[in-house]
Amino acid sequence: MDLAYQILVKPFADMVSAPDFLMQVLWEGLVSGVLYALIALGFVLIFKSSRVFNFAQGIMVVFAALSLVGLHEHGVPAWLAVLLTLGIMLVLAVAVERVVLRPLVNQPDIILFMATIGITLFLVGFGELIFGGENKRMITEQLGIPTGSFEFEPFGGLLSIQQADLTAVVGAVVLVAVLILFLNRTRMGRAIRALGDDHQAAMSVGISLSTIWVVVWFIAGIIALATGIVWGARAGVSFALEVIAYKALPVLMLGGLESVPGAIIGGVAIGLLEKLFEIYWGQPLLGGNTETWFAYVLALIVLLFRPQGIFGEKIIERV
Amino acid sequence: MNALTRKCLLPALLAMGTMLTLPALAEDSVNVTNLSYRTGPFAATGTPVMNGQRDYMLMINARDGGVNGVKIDYQECETGYNTEKGVECYEKTKGQSIVTQPWSTGITLQVLPKSNIDKVPILAPGYGFSPMADGKTFQWAFNPPTSYWDGASMILQDISKGDLASLKGKKIVLLHLDAPYGKEPIPLIQAYADKYGFTFQAIPVGVKEMQNQSAQWLQIRREKPDYVLMWGWGAMNTGALTEAVKTKFPMDHFVGIWWSGSDADLKAVGEAGKGYRSISWSYPESNSKVMQDIKKYVVDAGQSMLPKDEFDYVFYQRGVVISMFTVEAMKAAQEHFNTKVVTAEQLRWGLENLKLDDAHLAEIGMTGMVPPFSTSCADHSGHAGGWMLQWDGTKFVKSSDLLKPETEMYAELSKTEAAKYAEANKPWPINEDCKM
Amino acid sequence: MLYRTAGQFKTSYEADFALFPVRQDAILLGVILLFAWVILPWSANEFVFQTLLIPVLIYSLAALGLNLLTGYAGQLSLGTAAFMGVGAYACYKLTTIFPGMNLVVAIALSGFFAAAVGVVFGLPSLRIKGFYLAIATLAAQFFLVWLFEKWAWLYNYNSSGAIQVPNMKMFGVYVAGPQATSLTQYYFVLAVVSLITWFSINITRGRIGRMWKAVRDMDIAAELVGINLMRAKLSAFAISSYVAGVSGALFVFLWRGAAEPVLFDVQLSFRILFIAIIGGLGSIIGNYFGALLIVALPVILGIVPDALGVPIRAAVQEHLNTMIVGALIITFLIAEPLGMARLWGIIREKLIIWPFPH
Repeated sequence: MDLAYQILVKPFADMVSAPDFLMQVLWEGLVSGVLYALIALGFVLIFKSSRVFNFAQGIMVVFAALSLVGLHEHGVPAWLAVLLTLGIMLVLAVAVERVVLRPLVNQPDIILFMATIGITLFLVGFGELIFGGENKRMITEQLGIPTGSFEFEPFGGLLSIQQADLTAVVGAVVLVAVLILFLNRTRMGRAIRALGDDHQAAMSVGISLSTIWVVVWFIAGIIALATGIVWGARAGVSFALEVIAYKALPVLMLGGLESVPGAIIGGVAIGLLEKLFEIYWGQPLLGGNTETWFAYVLALIVLLFRPQGIFGEKIIERV
Repeated sequence: MNALTRKCLLPALLAMGTMLTLPALAEDSVNVTNLSYRTGPFAATGTPVMNGQRDYMLMINARDGGVNGVKIDYQECETGYNTEKGVECYEKTKGQSIVTQPWSTGITLQVLPKSNIDKVPILAPGYGFSPMADGKTFQWAFNPPTSYWDGASMILQDISKGDLASLKGKKIVLLHLDAPYGKEPIPLIQAYADKYGFTFQAIPVGVKEMQNQSAQWLQIRREKPDYVLMWGWGAMNTGALTEAVKTKFPMDHFVGIWWSGSDADLKAVGEAGKGYRSISWSYPESNSKVMQDIKKYVVDAGQSMLPKDEFDYVFYQRGVVISMFTVEAMKAAQEHFNTKVVTAEQLRWGLENLKLDDAHLAEIGMTGMVPPFSTSCADHSGHAGGWMLQWDGTKFVKSSDLLKPETEMYAELSKTEAAKYAEANKPWPINEDCKM
Repeated sequence: MLYRTAGQFKTSYEADFALFPVRQDAILLGVILLFAWVILPWSANEFVFQTLLIPVLIYSLAALGLNLLTGYAGQLSLGTAAFMGVGAYACYKLTTIFPGMNLVVAIALSGFFAAAVGVVFGLPSLRIKGFYLAIATLAAQFFLVWLFEKWAWLYNYNSSGAIQVPNMKMFGVYVAGPQATSLTQYYFVLAVVSLITWFSINITRGRIGRMWKAVRDMDIAAELVGINLMRAKLSAFAISSYVAGVSGALFVFLWRGAAEPVLFDVQLSFRILFIAIIGGLGSIIGNYFGALLIVALPVILGIVPDALGVPIRAAVQEHLNTMIVGALIITFLIAEPLGMARLWGIIREKLIIWPFPH
């Protein structure tokens, strides 16, 4: 009875009794959710167009952020460093397409997946060799990202919203909007979607597979840079950031591997729910740190009812 | 299946490898290998310490031609704070190095049971397993100058301004890395809480959440503790400090252990971190003789791997102090055994008979860099105590006199934990010759 | 010449179904076993035992467990390390609750705990497929590691939260704990690995193995010809997790000597998946090839600069090492996506027809 009260009643009573705190929790959840969504978006884009489950998305985030900070440390002005980093991500995209993807065309999915883990290892070694392993500071001010915070006092409490987080959310929304416009309104975007629907048909109408792959990996690189900047502004840039890739995976399960809206909604939903669960159930009842698995278990439960994810394309199986 | 036929090539290759390396050792030199980590998520805090350790050894070689004429062959074996790699390094170096410096509580726990058999002393200054201070049980392990439990005791004394009873009714939160290292102080702080009537709560930070501690800090905001203590390492420190700034937690009520007091961590928050304190058993004295010598013989000679602006850092100079322990133990052993090239077993005696009083520290030019202490066969730590260092916005300054741990508070606990360990690993030799 | 099969006639079905239809295979195996059981242990030193021989065997066993599931039954799993962890913690609890228990019995029993957990987390495979399933197994991975961390009963409430292997004897000889010699541990591991390998070869050749392969190749078709999908998939999860659990127990008890939960992190799962894939999915010997490449090669690479006297900083070497392993994985996937086992298969074919390739 007491346990039932602890699980079913008390968390909600806590929420109601401290609404400002609840709002803070929701805000924090939203910010993490947006970041998860961004990483998941990188996965989805690549998966849609090339059927590659790109595990290297996490390390690309680290690599982009490190390049940016590293270049700036060598005296390159911030705006130029951003451009140069984009250049590096383009080189990376071309290299991945040439060296890894092209020879592996038509291999089973799992082989391509493993190849991206190979890329991950390579980039970890390469990145540490060049930039060193220490934790670096994101050049937040130099990029013109505000660092103060807005304070509200709803219900006599305190709600503090970091301007950097707010910028991150706004930036992510803009990025996603541009991306959706790009996918829907431009020739290249339509080509990407066509490739996602059917490789052979797309190629037969003259869409170049290799160009599209480079473009898609480059877009994933841009997204990685954006994620790296906002996440790096929160906690510094180091290889420990790589683990956020794991956060994007349940988002993909929930949203579906091929759905752009799924990645966004799934990301935000997981960010919010895992934070709520951790604060109101995980910490008081389970000893905390439930964020490591909550998203996975939630996604697993959802998948039992909808095996292709909430927004995934219906699986039709034939013999 | 010819996997195994290939395997036979490996030992041959390895045998060749060892043959090539062995004659390379010169006559009068001893090997000191450090299980370093300059890579991985903990490299940020590891690297400066490793730099300090390396530079002191290089300085001794350059200035004095080694320890009484015996050169120190300082090597590093990279572990990346990874236990598996650490064990690999240990196996690789145990035949050569006269001391094992495992540099992580996880690796220490792996190596500790083997120490009685391999007979190489483990030097874990200010880390490892707190009951290791019990020299009768842990004959081969040393954690000078002070243990984690000492650290916790000193922090509690400082925040209560020496009057522990005043903590009654207060709430203290321990924000710790969810690993053996972070869990070390829990039993002791709990014992203090029971005795003095304050509320104690441990909040773990998983290795994967180090950089995203918003859930932990929301919890801290909800619990409204009077003090937050931190047992953090690597990227966790910066993460916690950034979040503390964000949640507007009063910095002067936020206190870290010595590994959570790196200049680089605090530089990341800068002015906003003003007031943060960290207990430390070392203090940077850049004008001391030893640091000036390092500057002259190593840094200015271009031998150091140290970035220019890190010379004054707490962690760099702490590395110097750590290497000093090894060198002083070597000196003691050389004198006692009347030999030049000390072996691992002789070094163990040296570590057990460190006498670092004020006069001696002055002689080696280290006054004020480490509290005076001595070790014995029963006490492998020395419980030297430490100072509270406070961040003033740009650097750490001393904010307290020398604090001394209340060792009697946990003498019993230490004994039972050590006995428990010996019991679980029986047959475990106890040093019966030690009558202290 | 060496591998000529001419003149070896099969006169009965039994002979055709034998484990070694070609005599030279049996001879080769004999030579390998001679090496493994006699020559290597005599020539190896402590370092070779602790960083090459024992880990390669244990990792191959873990990869074998994964390979049964992924390579034979077609269910991609990223949770192997967690199942290994279940085996290790079960073994630890068994040996501390019943201190007199024989280590072999404890290890054999701990596999059953891993199998049970494996079946529970295998249940989603009845609904979910492919990458979705792979991510679903990550739920097991993260949840179980969290549990190892939080459930203090598992590590007997000790303050460090890590488990330590006590000294254990079998027939008057120390087999586990710091007092055990590497030689005994090696033989112990080798015996267990040989036994499970033999068992796995036979299971994959038999009815269950064929059932798994049918499900792997096309599960709907398999269902239509009357294979019970649930039984096939869950048995694959159970047997695979059993093997993983045993390897986890060996991992901690016969090699590492102590373990903290983070040891069974997702990185370990990936490492084992590498071994299985580089070695060759759907093969037994491939796991040994893969383990040699993924486990032994970095250790050897770490020694090379020292041996050649090239001055290279420890950290730089480690970075280069990571890069080389990553590059090797990609190279191997491009060169032979079916793994090293397939490469060996090609070499063997060539040997059989050599020197008259037409």
